Amino acid sequence: MMIEALIAVALIGALVTFVAPNRVAGKLAFAISLVPAALSLWMFTAFDGSGNALLDGDLAFESHLEWIQLGEYSIEWFVGLDGISLPLVVMTTILCSLAILSSWTPIDSRESQFYGLVLFIEANLIGVFSALDFFVWFIFWEAVLIPMYLLIGVWGGPDRKYAAIKFFVYTNVASLVMFGAFIALVFGLGDAVTSFAMPEIADAMVNGGVQSSVFGIDPGTFTALVFIAMFLGFAVKVPVVPFHTWLPDAHVQAPTPASVLLAGVLLKMGTYALLRFNFTMFPEQVETFAVPIAAIAVISVIYGAMLALAQTDLKRIVAYSSVSSMGYVILGLIAYTQFGVGGATFQMVSHGLISGLMFMSVGVIYNVTHTRSVEEMSGLADRMPIAVGILVAGAFGYMGLPLMSGFHGEFTIFFGAFQADFAYAPLFTALAMFGIVIVAGYLLFALQRTVFGPYHLETDYDVGRAPLHDVAPMFVLLALIIALGVAPELIFDMITNAVDPILNGGDL
Amino acid sequence: MTVAVEYYVLLSMAVFCIGLMGVLTRRNALLFLMSVELMLNAANINLIAFAFYHGNLTGQVFALFTMALAAAEVAVGLGIILVLYRNFRDVDVTVPTTMRW
Amino acid sequence: MVGTGAGPFSYAPAIALFPLAAFVISLVFGRQLPKKGAIPGIFATAASLLFSLWMFATVAGGETYHETLYEWSAGAVTTEVGAEEIAFSFGLLIDPLSALMLVIVSLVAFLVHVFSLGYMNDEGETGLPRYYASLGLFTFSMLAFVYADNLLMAFMFFELVGLCSYLLIGFWFRTKSAPSAAKKAFLVTRFGDYFFLIGVVAIASTFGTVAFAGEESFVVAAETAIEDGTTLFGFDAQTWVTITGLLVLGGVIGKSAQFPLHTWLPDAMEGPTTVSALIHAATMVAAGVYLVARMFGYYALSPTALSIIAFVGGFTALFAATMGVVKDDIKQVLAYSTISQYGYMMLGMGVGGYVAGVFHLMNHAFFKALLFLGSGAVIVLMHHEQDMWKMGGLKDKAPITYYTFLAGALALAGIVPFSGFWSKDEVLFDALIVGLEEPVILAAYAMGLLAVFFTGFYTFRMVFLTFHGEPRTETAEDPHGVGWSIKAPLVVLGLLAALVGFVNLAPIAKVAGMDITFLEYWLDGEYGYVEGLTYHHYHEMVAFEEGYIGSETTTMLLSAGLSLGLALAGAFAAHTLYNVPEPKRHTTKLGGAYTVLRNNYYQDEYQVWLAEGLTLPLARTADLFDRSVIDGAVDGVSGASLFGSSWVKRIQTGLVTNYAALIVAGFIALLLGLGLYGGWF
Repeated sequence: MMIEALIAVALIGALVTFVAPNRVAGKLAFAISLVPAALSLWMFTAFDGSGNALLDGDLAFESHLEWIQLGEYSIEWFVGLDGISLPLVVMTTILCSLAILSSWTPIDSRESQFYGLVLFIEANLIGVFSALDFFVWFIFWEAVLIPMYLLIGVWGGPDRKYAAIKFFVYTNVASLVMFGAFIALVFGLGDAVTSFAMPEIADAMVNGGVQSSVFGIDPGTFTALVFIAMFLGFAVKVPVVPFHTWLPDAHVQAPTPASVLLAGVLLKMGTYALLRFNFTMFPEQVETFAVPIAAIAVISVIYGAMLALAQTDLKRIVAYSSVSSMGYVILGLIAYTQFGVGGATFQMVSHGLISGLMFMSVGVIYNVTHTRSVEEMSGLADRMPIAVGILVAGAFGYMGLPLMSGFHGEFTIFFGAFQADFAYAPLFTALAMFGIVIVAGYLLFALQRTVFGPYHLETDYDVGRAPLHDVAPMFVLLALIIALGVAPELIFDMITNAVDPILNGGDL
Repeated sequence: MTVAVEYYVLLSMAVFCIGLMGVLTRRNALLFLMSVELMLNAANINLIAFAFYHGNLTGQVFALFTMALAAAEVAVGLGIILVLYRNFRDVDVTVPTTMRW
Repeated sequence: MVGTGAGPFSYAPAIALFPLAAFVISLVFGRQLPKKGAIPGIFATAASLLFSLWMFATVAGGETYHETLYEWSAGAVTTEVGAEEIAFSFGLLIDPLSALMLVIVSLVAFLVHVFSLGYMNDEGETGLPRYYASLGLFTFSMLAFVYADNLLMAFMFFELVGLCSYLLIGFWFRTKSAPSAAKKAFLVTRFGDYFFLIGVVAIASTFGTVAFAGEESFVVAAETAIEDGTTLFGFDAQTWVTITGLLVLGGVIGKSAQFPLHTWLPDAMEGPTTVSALIHAATMVAAGVYLVARMFGYYALSPTALSIIAFVGGFTALFAATMGVVKDDIKQVLAYSTISQYGYMMLGMGVGGYVAGVFHLMNHAFFKALLFLGSGAVIVLMHHEQDMWKMGGLKDKAPITYYTFLAGALALAGIVPFSGFWSKDEVLFDALIVGLEEPVILAAYAMGLLAVFFTGFYTFRMVFLTFHGEPRTETAEDPHGVGWSIKAPLVVLGLLAALVGFVNLAPIAKVAGMDITFLEYWLDGEYGYVEGLTYHHYHEMVAFEEGYIGSETTTMLLSAGLSLGLALAGAFAAHTLYNVPEPKRHTTKLGGAYTVLRNNYYQDEYQVWLAEGLTLPLARTADLFDRSVIDGAVDGVSGASLFGSSWVKRIQTGLVTNYAALIVAGFIALLLGLGLYGGWF
């Protein structure tokens, strides 16, 4: 019942924060959010699962409850964690706490609603990463959108309505495509499944798959179509080029903490779902479509990085670089080797921490300068040395500096992809690796323009040092990034343990 | 002697068409309400006539329902018209079209 | 003989950890500490030096150390040679090569820390805790790189020294030029590291191991694969080894500032001179060449890769030396000479002259650190003036600086018996004997030989302009004094620059038949050794033929005479032109060549063009494409829906009458339709 406890604390906390007075809401929400963070850390130490949740693994913190009988199909409350989802849950709870802390400065209206929504997102995110019944999972999946829509639409920048609606409609349409495809798949599997439990469906897919033709389409084509539809549905969420354009708009308009959650956790929902659905349930199609998907990954990496290079808004730079980083994750997944898929999962966690740190740093700069344009400021290191120091450290983390978590993620992905089975895998890998040069280019360029050089600021604000509650969450993230970089085995072991069954067709 | 059911149907058709013409041509909201009332009652005539014709009470029961519904509708409709009048100083239905989108 | 965890070697990790501790202390408490963090740095590097010497002595006693200490990441793989498991770990490999390098690095680091007291603290710089913290982090990373026992660990610390270099070049971040130079340095070396990382990934994917030494090393695996004629990634083993070797070489070329990735090093002189001495002359830049030495067994398998190394080295030696001739800034001259000298080391490595390359690496570390620190002293004397034309006559005002600088200059120019002569001569001799059989190497040798003349010329041009003649400005008349913390490191390094060459007097050994080539014995495992990492073994593996003019001794004497003659000729030319009371610029005589040299052969221009003239517009085009086409399509979908609805919504007039009419019309249409369909009419 640990997962239920996590979700319940966040949900009740959200309600309590909603009705709390504005001036205490921030502190209250932070205090409440510490509970799931502490609980999930305890779960991390007490984790005793092994194998993959969908492929006969031993789940940790598993819980089943009868819920609805829908004709022949039963829907259950079914949650549990394996080595893939646990690190993501821990990352989510920690990042949510820190995001709340980092919103103390920038959020100055409707505080109780704001923090309530953040806690509500947290509850749903935990649900997404732990639910193992498709319907339960889908409810959480969709429920994440609403609070995020409100966070962007109410507390966002000048163009917030456009960004919020674009984000909501785009990702929602994608969810619809994915949902339709999945329901069709369950229908196509016929008698092989009697519930929407993901392990059952995965089992049916891996051991047999769709047997007879569906809607007059032969089983092979049908499965391929479902695979493509689901890939496209998740690709929007990841996002993968060319479905990425909602991301920079959403990031630029969103308030800092929403950006942190968006980049840190919401993007990982896409790759997590890809791993859980496409890459676990469709091993044959993964092989068939390896080359085009690898090409998409490489394009995402290089094209996203090139776009970041052209930006002058700090948040846009980090947003586009997320597109680039998520390209690495796709490359790792499609490699279908232990290092590739494991590295991709590691990169999800690592990128969550690093992009969270980057957005917080940009937020702290924005708090004091009220601008994000690299052309309007320079030499900030002179006025806020500690915050800038962390920003520089975070930027190097993003560039994949060794002994920080990004390096392990990227290196294992490259290593895994280099030995992948599909055609020209080494070539694709080498191309994608060029991203590490471009990322250094645009981040160093941005640093040179904004934090170094003679002090200058176009906007009329007095720049002083950032307060402790702005800097503290960044220190925590930096510490985690370095810890994971020095000792990646902290989570990489459990990840590879959960990844193995995927690659061995269900056998541990 | 009994009147043949065809005449009831003819009457009901006539009443319904009068009501329909009222809805289609009038601009006064009150007359709208009356016209709708006429159409409802046209239906009632049909219900009762066929109930009598078949020797079955179901139609009559439904006629009662319709009357209750009509009463409710008039209540709501009059309420709306009152509000309309208060806001627009008129009960002409072409005036509040600004509320369409 | 590979020792196990016992004995002195169990303290080896501390060599790198001392500076790491200094880094943390300086970073956290630097502001409160006296001397702003210099003290922990000095103590840490002193401790590292002592421990390094201890390790050196232990290796001399016949023991070596190869131990995995910490598993970083592990998992299953499918490699070309069939290995199924791989573990990436941190481990130590202390053999003669790394023990030697540990001493060099920790010694120079220690001296630079001491020198910094005079150069940074006494000059009242701000941000000193940051400076000392970065130095500590650098020393940690560099030492860890030196005794890394596998390629991945080497890569990781290779990148980290790049970070420290970035931080220290950009130390004076309030200026415009320093952050720009820092960015350039990191980016250019990153470009090299990109290839290096592909190389690491490729080697790990091919052989399932990244270890440098032992039976499990990738060098041994590659040897086996070549013997067995295995196909690796669709290439035959020999070609694949060449390809991966060259990929790793990308990192070497970036870090050791070889053509065409040398452009960052002159710009890196924006950093404090102490940093230039430690990082951009003696140690970090040496990391590239050291890496070649570290995995020399791998390169030895591929004559093609070796030839390319040699050719790049020879070309860079000449190329950089010519640019050094026309520079006015004392640090710029030294920067180009650094590039040029690393070219020699690459040349030495490339022709199979492992000992010569390492020998020159060691000598260069001392004399170039000396020259940079000397120039730092000059800069202090001159109140932070770096233009040599504004100096002159400092000889009498600062004798210690002058004589130590002169020792370094003689070593750099390669004048007998200073250290540079012995090692440069050995490099050129090794190149010559191979070159007599291989035309490509002969070309590389010729370029290296020609560069000797230029080296002699620019070195003494620098010495004469700085120290001789009449003082040309008021500051040069009355220079600022320098303290003991500046003089002491200069004296130590001056002695080393003069004397350290005596450890490997190969020509004298040959002529007189004496056993005095100690460095060769050291690297050949006469003391302690790790199997497969000895000069002997490498020499057997390198497939180059060697030829002689007459006998070996005559060839050697010829080579030595030639290089010494050219060096003296260069020095003499500088003497005639510049050792006069009122020297003049003679550069105009060079005509068009001067413009080309002054602009560094337009190397910066084309690289800046690649970044700003090509990549940036490309990025902007991509951005335009993204905003117009891709996002345009997205907005287009929503726009089309909105446009469509704006038409359709007009049906909704707001008139109940119209709605009713529509309902009636619809009903009638339905009736008619159904009627027609049902055949009523």
